[in-house]
Amino acid sequence: MSSKDNRFYLGENKEALMIGNEAIVRGCLEAGVGFVAQYPGTPTSDIGETFQMLLKNDAELREYLVHHWAINEAVAVSECVGAAWAGSRVLNPLKHVGLNVASDPLSVIALNGPGPGAMVLVVGADPGSLGSHQEQNDRFYSWMLHLPVIEPWSPQENKDWIKIAFELSEKHDIPVYFRTSTRVAHSRGIVKLGEIQKPKEKHHFTRNIPKYCSLPPHAINNHVRLYERIEEVRKELPKLGLNRYIEGTNTTGIVTSGMPFGYTMEALNQLNLNDVPIMKLGIIYPINYDEIIGFLQKLNRVIIIEELEPFLEVKIAEICHKNNLKVEVIGQKYFPKFGEYSTGLVSEVLAKIFNKQPSQIMLKAQKYYNSFQNIIPKRFPTFCSGCPERATLYAIKKATNDLENTVIAGDIGCYVMSFFPPNECSDFIICMSGGLSAAIGLSSKTDQNIIAFIGDSTFLHTGMAPLAEAVNYDCNIILFIFVNNWVAMTGHQEVVGVTNHKLSISKICEAIGVKWLKVADSYDPHNLIRTIEKAKTKKGVKVIIIRRECALQANRFRQSEIRKLKEQGEKVREIMYVISNCQMCMECARVLGCPAIRRTTINGQEQMQIDQDRCIRCGVCFEICPNHAINKIDLYPFDKEVSFREP
Amino acid sequence: MNHKTKFQETDIINIVIAGTAGQGVITIKRLIEFAAHDSNCQSIFGSEMHGLAQREGAITSHTRYQKILSHNVRKNLYSPSICYGGADLYLGFEPSEVLRRAQFASERTIFCINSRTIPPILVAAKMDEYPKLETIEKILKEISNNVFFINATEMALDHFDDAQKMNMIMLGFAVASGSIPFIKIDDYKNVIKRELRQPDMNIKAFDLGYEKGKEVFG
Repeated sequence: MSSKDNRFYLGENKEALMIGNEAIVRGCLEAGVGFVAQYPGTPTSDIGETFQMLLKNDAELREYLVHHWAINEAVAVSECVGAAWAGSRVLNPLKHVGLNVASDPLSVIALNGPGPGAMVLVVGADPGSLGSHQEQNDRFYSWMLHLPVIEPWSPQENKDWIKIAFELSEKHDIPVYFRTSTRVAHSRGIVKLGEIQKPKEKHHFTRNIPKYCSLPPHAINNHVRLYERIEEVRKELPKLGLNRYIEGTNTTGIVTSGMPFGYTMEALNQLNLNDVPIMKLGIIYPINYDEIIGFLQKLNRVIIIEELEPFLEVKIAEICHKNNLKVEVIGQKYFPKFGEYSTGLVSEVLAKIFNKQPSQIMLKAQKYYNSFQNIIPKRFPTFCSGCPERATLYAIKKATNDLENTVIAGDIGCYVMSFFPPNECSDFIICMSGGLSAAIGLSSKTDQNIIAFIGDSTFLHTGMAPLAEAVNYDCNIILFIFVNNWVAMTGHQEVVGVTNHKLSISKICEAIGVKWLKVADSYDPHNLIRTIEKAKTKKGVKVIIIRRECALQANRFRQSEIRKLKEQGEKVREIMYVISNCQMCMECARVLGCPAIRRTTINGQEQMQIDQDRCIRCGVCFEICPNHAINKIDLYPFDKEVSFREP
Repeated sequence: MNHKTKFQETDIINIVIAGTAGQGVITIKRLIEFAAHDSNCQSIFGSEMHGLAQREGAITSHTRYQKILSHNVRKNLYSPSICYGGADLYLGFEPSEVLRRAQFASERTIFCINSRTIPPILVAAKMDEYPKLETIEKILKEISNNVFFINATEMALDHFDDAQKMNMIMLGFAVASGSIPFIKIDDYKNVIKRELRQPDMNIKAFDLGYEKGKEVFG
């Protein structure tokens, strides 16, 4: 395994196999991007990971490309435009809900324009809510803010069109909205490569108050200029060649874009509907009216295939209406307005519209599946083996007599999983730091115990503000801050300032005015239970910082240290936890809920057992077993010990 | 046994891989796709899920490829995900996870399944039941005649003292079944050398699975 990923170095006309996000990174290198900032969020986090990996291994790239893990999306988008105003090409990847956070600065950035540089936002939509707390149709931002929206389908389009996005942005002084989805971002295909640009020139900011200060009267002037800019983009559409027309003689046609195009093509083939004309839009805002009218004029019916709330359907119905076209527009009368589409779904709906028999193989497979579906055991995502957050939930349950008279404000991060069984201990979840904010209102209306969760990265993202307000109003809240050193949920990106120990979360809390603050370790559950019991007796804001590195990262590091020592011929102390004399009290499996513990039957006797290849030796089950049925076996007590590192 | 399907070069080959987080579903998917590319397949499109990748969740990936593109543009590969009933090969790293996505299988599917179970935590907590292996086998045999279980995790522990090598044993086994056509064995090995840590050990695990597959599939 080599350290440099060759796919980002191969020359023009070579081919590489890439997922959508990797293709975007390659396209950025070919476009000469100089600055990238983002807050991690599925499905765009791995764009940043790829940049980070390239930068780590390439000194020349570090001369002209900067990648920041930003503290939140609003900071990221403004950072980006700052670099663009100096003249750089900049990329801001974010997930659809990240755009909500970024929308305030973006609404002004759109007015000002990113020139003289160029700015592209990669927005990862998530129909089906595959890695998000909701599935909003983010496309409507383009109507409100007047941002051109490009929607790629394949990795090749991701690579080629991101370059077009930069050119469009630079030429028209407008941020371009490059909209992918979870499926587009994480599908792998063959990409034909282009030439890489290395923008090494120094940049410079030039004062231009009317352009950069969108306050009256410039705010209105820039609004007018924005309308003009979007019309200029519309005029240029025919030259861009982003739309694709597949001809057919049927008087019912289809308009689609992005990944639904893929499902549509395969569904039509499956139904043997090979004469249906298709218009695949590569840019969905603004729309090239002449091209759409030309397509619609040959049709009696047009089917719009798009995920979530009707966007194209509304536009196309408007075009038909304004141009007196007698074309029936069929969209979400038949297609669902929620969830992710698939070939199967599109094929079933098209069969209905065209009065065709759906594929019998498909129907049979689905029907048979429905007959046994209920015997499949549910597998909810849960905390990994040894997760310090699971052990914290356990201590909270014990300190509150199983959540008696207790409300738990959940939040976004791995602890989001605490609402799944068997833990079931988040009462509500809103958005990044929404839990602590809601806890403020709650605490002023109820005397229940109120506990709020937040992770280190979420705390820095938007959590400091509600903490300051909670302190100001002396709210009775116990806030748990999980300082695990990583943005773990999205795949272990660095937490700004925490991973590299440049800032201290406990000092921030003190500076905000938190009077009662304890740093605790959930691998010592009995102590943690006592700390929580003490916190319950105090008034005002209580902060308990759980300082334990993410178990996955901690165990990876520990295992690599052990491997190194063993390769050097050293013997290493080995600890195992083994269950004997299990009383089946279920404390470890149901109350703690560690996935390394399995229920099994040995010699006709039901008992719990620890899977040694899944146990990371955190020792929490050993500490909490009420029957002392878990034994700690020290295999080589006198050999070198490798402990988990200090966070 | 009718598992020796004849594939046309313009056929779209459909592979489902299912397992639980951390078992290497995405790793094996990528290996197949890189090997297909090295074997000069003209079209490759596959879908994988990130984000909950280590949270004990259920993981499925789809790999699809065409050796040669059809002249009729409407017959080619456009979707990275497989349609219901479309799988040629269903590679299962965990038995209950094979059931979870069995709507992608049909009578032409070849199932290669690791028999080691990973019960979800709700099963350990007695809040849910894990079906018997015989039940899972019976359900799958109603779909296709070609259902093959091997104890790959045990083989991995016995031979390599590393449960993770299960995934490479499963890949070798599936390759021997003939249901991943048009990809040369040397291309898998080159990709393993290029992409993975411990390439020698992984190639040994691949070979072990392949030999086991030869015993079963001939």
